[in-house]
Amino acid sequence: MASEDILTLKTSPSPRVLPRIPSIVLWIGAVALAWLVLAHFYRDTMSTLWAWAPLLAGGLRMNVLISVLAIAIGTVLGAIVGALELSRGRWIGAPAKAYVQVFRNAPILVLIFFATYVFPFEIRFGSTYLPFPDWIKATIGLALPASAHIAEIFRGAILSITSAQWEASASLGLSRSQTLRWVILPQCVKRVLPPWMNLYAMITMSTTLASLVGVTELLESAKNATNTVNRTDFTIIIYLAVLTLFFLYCYPITRFTARLERKYAFH
Amino acid sequence: MKAARILGALGAAVFLAGVSAAHADATLDRVKSRGTVVVGVILSGPPYGYIDPATQKQAGLNIDLADEIARRLGARLETVAVTPANRVQFLQQGKVDLLIPNMQLNPERAEIMGYVPTPYGDAGGGFITRKGSGITQWKDLKDKTVCVSQGSNYAKPLAEEYGANVKGMPSQPDSLLALKAGSCFASVHDSAGLHLLVEDNPEWKDFELPIATDLIPLPSVIWVRKGEKDIENVLDGFVQDWYRTGWLFEVTRKNRIKITPLLEEWQAKYPAAKK
Amino acid sequence: MSESWLPAFVAAARSVGLNYGFLLNAFERAAWIDGVVVSIELSALGIVSSLIVGMVIAAALTSGRPYLDRPARAFVELVRNTPTLVQIFCAFFVVNMLISQALGGPQNNPLTAYAWVVIVLSLHYGAYHAEALRAGIEAVPRAMRESAVSLGFSRREILTHVELPLAVRFAWPSLVNNMVDLVKATSLGSAIAVGEVTYASLMIWVNGDNVLELMIFILLVYAALTLLVAGLGTLVENRLRMPGYGQ
Repeated sequence: MASEDILTLKTSPSPRVLPRIPSIVLWIGAVALAWLVLAHFYRDTMSTLWAWAPLLAGGLRMNVLISVLAIAIGTVLGAIVGALELSRGRWIGAPAKAYVQVFRNAPILVLIFFATYVFPFEIRFGSTYLPFPDWIKATIGLALPASAHIAEIFRGAILSITSAQWEASASLGLSRSQTLRWVILPQCVKRVLPPWMNLYAMITMSTTLASLVGVTELLESAKNATNTVNRTDFTIIIYLAVLTLFFLYCYPITRFTARLERKYAFH
Repeated sequence: MKAARILGALGAAVFLAGVSAAHADATLDRVKSRGTVVVGVILSGPPYGYIDPATQKQAGLNIDLADEIARRLGARLETVAVTPANRVQFLQQGKVDLLIPNMQLNPERAEIMGYVPTPYGDAGGGFITRKGSGITQWKDLKDKTVCVSQGSNYAKPLAEEYGANVKGMPSQPDSLLALKAGSCFASVHDSAGLHLLVEDNPEWKDFELPIATDLIPLPSVIWVRKGEKDIENVLDGFVQDWYRTGWLFEVTRKNRIKITPLLEEWQAKYPAAKK
Repeated sequence: MSESWLPAFVAAARSVGLNYGFLLNAFERAAWIDGVVVSIELSALGIVSSLIVGMVIAAALTSGRPYLDRPARAFVELVRNTPTLVQIFCAFFVVNMLISQALGGPQNNPLTAYAWVVIVLSLHYGAYHAEALRAGIEAVPRAMRESAVSLGFSRREILTHVELPLAVRFAWPSLVNNMVDLVKATSLGSAIAVGEVTYASLMIWVNGDNVLELMIFILLVYAALTLLVAGLGTLVENRLRMPGYGQ
């Protein structure tokens, strides 16, 4: 092989004759095709799957709900902890750093067990009881590690802005908080967005852990269905369906993230 | 930095422990004030508790008993599907008022929970494996991989007495799936359900229950939180009444469960009222 | 294990309301300690094999040959966009069943739950390692590659002698991050009854009222394990440091 070959192949993609098809379209096409083939050869299995589809859809809705709530709580909490980590006061910074360490290093499954089995099932406010159902506990079990990761993402983004900008702002007479709000944070958004979206995809996939404490999300619904139908072909198909649904939900997110990363890389 | 980590670990533990410090009221008062009784049931398959494929509704002996208890208490029934792995925690937390997950009475459980003294049935472990395993008695299980549910009372005798390599799966369906997938040599669960499985389901025709005796057959009771005598007494009255009216045998047979000698004994204690 | 301090510890814990009575039961104590050992084993095995998988996939990804690069890319995307727990269930329940059938019965299938956890975690984190290594390989300066070519290195020699050593250094922080995630993911073994520390604890608390006590122990075990991996990572990073690269 010629030496130029080695060099060029590595650095530039091979020339294309056909117009470039976005890989996301290719993927969805491939997945759809695979399911059509399955539907053709395993008509009976697929019709059973179809009968259980409403239950599965309900399960998936629970995954989406938990993931959206968890990332929302995690973002608010993480922003606060991240800001505290950067504070100059030792007594504020150290506990914030410890919080991040603890919740980043604990397995999410263990945090979900913790939330489910250790938290009460209802909270008492005077004489009224506020129920505290399992899916909300699982949400908290996911929001805690999410907040620790987000604190790190924010802190990294803020620290990545050169100190010259802080100094320049100070010389313009801006206070520390004004600098943060008007100069630093707007630039941070771009740096925060890609890792934040990656984290969201990660949290979404971790919502399946809630099945291990009995929350009826997609995986748990699928298991209930397999248990009731009790047929091998159905078991195989339903696990494939769960994998496919998660892929179709998460792959576009990670593709979009990758695009944002490339776009922002040059700024 | 190190100090910060230790501080954080302690802080998190204190915070999480603080949140958990809540107590449930006396069960009976709460059922009355809410008009709802929350019963933990297991949906692991017929005959005790399952989802009927036709109606996608809960059915089975546990559900029938829970229904009857709610009716007699004049409360609305709310069932919570539990697993052997989480049922004790759910009862202790107060998430459920009673447990009827076909859970047998043994000293370890009696130490941490309260129970209704009159049993409504009994169950022992059945052993399901592929045909031709060569196993004929429990002690043949030495060093074999045997799957049970996490929290099953069969785990201990299997491991300590018979030297089996016990694997606790999250639920009975998982354990049976693992058996089918070839990851377990055998599974041990309540024998009544396993008998129905091999009788009814053609997918299980290659499996059998080769051991004639059940593992540690014990009475099945209704579980409540420790020290709640009021509800224990009320429910005990119900169960005795079930014997007297003959309803218990009726519902047991309806769910295709055999009437065991132990049940006959209890029936003799509370003979059916003359009509 | 010393006989005297254990009851003292249990008594002290009880006085602050924590029930560590299981430590006095020889059977449960042994099972729990076994769990810690299995967690360490799984982590170590997973880290080594995931790194090997990662290097193989990274080599395929940067090979410039469509028949290697495309399947590798598809594999990475599939693995990264589906939940690890579902992957473990699929492997253990579905793939294992198919393998058993193909081999003519489960008695011929040597794969255990333990093996499946190692396999799935190695492939899963191998895919993440591969992405980090690919980025590292792409960050190798062009001049470096050109000089290797002019010295007469073959493509494989360039990969193993020039690119990978540099790429590993560039990618090391991400690799360590993935390893820490892998250590945490070993807890998923509990879902298919692999006797690691989460499972061992779960089997104790299901019949007791000591969830909180065991949770504190588990969190400490994982904190120790992850800090150990991160610490070793920093140590290696310092050893690998080359003048002119990194800070």
